[in-house]
Amino acid sequence: MGLRQQMAYRLAMWAGLATNLFFGLLRVIVLIALYQAQLSVNGMSLQQAITYSAVAQSVIAFLTVFGSSDLMRTVYSGAIATDLVRPVGFYGYWLARDFGGSLVNLVGRGLVFLLLFRLFYAVDLPNDVIAWLCFGVSLALGWWVSFSWRFLVNLASFWTPDALGVGRALFGISQLFSGFIMPLRLMPDWFRQWSEFTPFPSMVNTPIEIYVGLLSGAELWRALLWQAGWALALFGVAQLVYAAGIRRLVLQGG
Amino acid sequence: MDLFSTGLMSGIGFLAVVLVMLRFESIGGWTLGEVAFLAGMIEMSFGLMDMVFGGFDPDWFSGVVQSGRFDQFLLRPVNLATQLLGANFLLRRLGRVLEGIVFFGLSLWLTPVSWSVAKLLYLPVVVLSQVVAMGSLFMVGSGLIFWTVQRIEAVNILTYGGVELMSYPVHIYPRWLQRFFTFGVPFVFLNYYPALYFLDKPDVLGFPVFAPFWAPLAAAGMLLMAIWFWRFALRHYQSTGS
Repeated sequence: MGLRQQMAYRLAMWAGLATNLFFGLLRVIVLIALYQAQLSVNGMSLQQAITYSAVAQSVIAFLTVFGSSDLMRTVYSGAIATDLVRPVGFYGYWLARDFGGSLVNLVGRGLVFLLLFRLFYAVDLPNDVIAWLCFGVSLALGWWVSFSWRFLVNLASFWTPDALGVGRALFGISQLFSGFIMPLRLMPDWFRQWSEFTPFPSMVNTPIEIYVGLLSGAELWRALLWQAGWALALFGVAQLVYAAGIRRLVLQGG
Repeated sequence: MDLFSTGLMSGIGFLAVVLVMLRFESIGGWTLGEVAFLAGMIEMSFGLMDMVFGGFDPDWFSGVVQSGRFDQFLLRPVNLATQLLGANFLLRRLGRVLEGIVFFGLSLWLTPVSWSVAKLLYLPVVVLSQVVAMGSLFMVGSGLIFWTVQRIEAVNILTYGGVELMSYPVHIYPRWLQRFFTFGVPFVFLNYYPALYFLDKPDVLGFPVFAPFWAPLAAAGMLLMAIWFWRFALRHYQSTGS
């Protein structure tokens, strides 16, 4: 029985990878058709755009780009009561729980995906150790922003019985603004400028722009600081909303 | 709220394409208006299909088999397919249809079609063909569940992936992909070729001149295969007993 479960899990992983690969390749084919003979569009070469798409697909599971609903389900089932009596903070508890799963996915889904993708198109690597390091820091910040955002969306379940519907809408918006579907750099400038006023580019667009080497010098530091700013801001907002919500939840449960 | 949120979710992908096309202006020689025609048609059809064939949605059907509720369906003295059609009707899927209509409207606004009586008569035929063809894929997907019990994510490549694939002009794809979606699953004749006819665009792939009118044939072929497979799969059904 344990073996069957293991096999089912493996099968699910490969099926998930196949789906990611299909959508990743489709986006790359579309980008190639869009570029045609243009060498560079808004500072981004075709090879950088291809690498961007590959990395974006590879971090889906790590960053949980499509959103999550674990927390809201514990609210509706009542299982949250056990989590609230734990001797760790609620935010910290979910952060630890989420991070464990994400880390496994970074290798299991991310690395394996990139190796598969390389069978079809070349994927560049960051230039040097500094670039790798900056990418690592940026990806970690992106993960933190993504976690706080998902935590906040899930907290909607403290107020509404249809947090899933709220999530569907909000996670759709964050996908578009994060640059996950298409690089923000290839969208009109006005859209990109507006998107910077949301935390979403900090999740996907910034780490991957650093990965493909589109940011350097002062621009790179500014991008990292901006990301860190959003990470702290969302962390703060998450604490405030949780504090407001938990009072309400106690009232309801009483 | 529910109606609004599903519509938004599936339209996000095309919205990203619209934004990118504002910078690039064309893809494979097709303008934004022309691409919106492709996307609008298939979104509308997929939304309609999702309402009619909702009972065959593999994501929903796997739950029915796992929980053993499928046995109830088998016990009723009504044709099984009739029961499943509409068994999972959700009004929120109207969101997807509405969104297709919006894309289609955008297309007509950007690229006016020179309508003729023949085109107006053929348009509903194409939509119906797309509904039947995508519904057939749902039937195959849920048929597979009789063996696997769990839903198979790879089936989504053909259904949800198919919608995205058919939202772009087929000639931008590499040869192997074109061949697969011509002779394997005939997506090419369901959306791209009819669009050539409606938009008066030349065929760069070199199929016979009547290829735009193969959509109903492709759909009928897929439906027959799907029915055959469904019946074959049903014989392999064993209750989970839960």
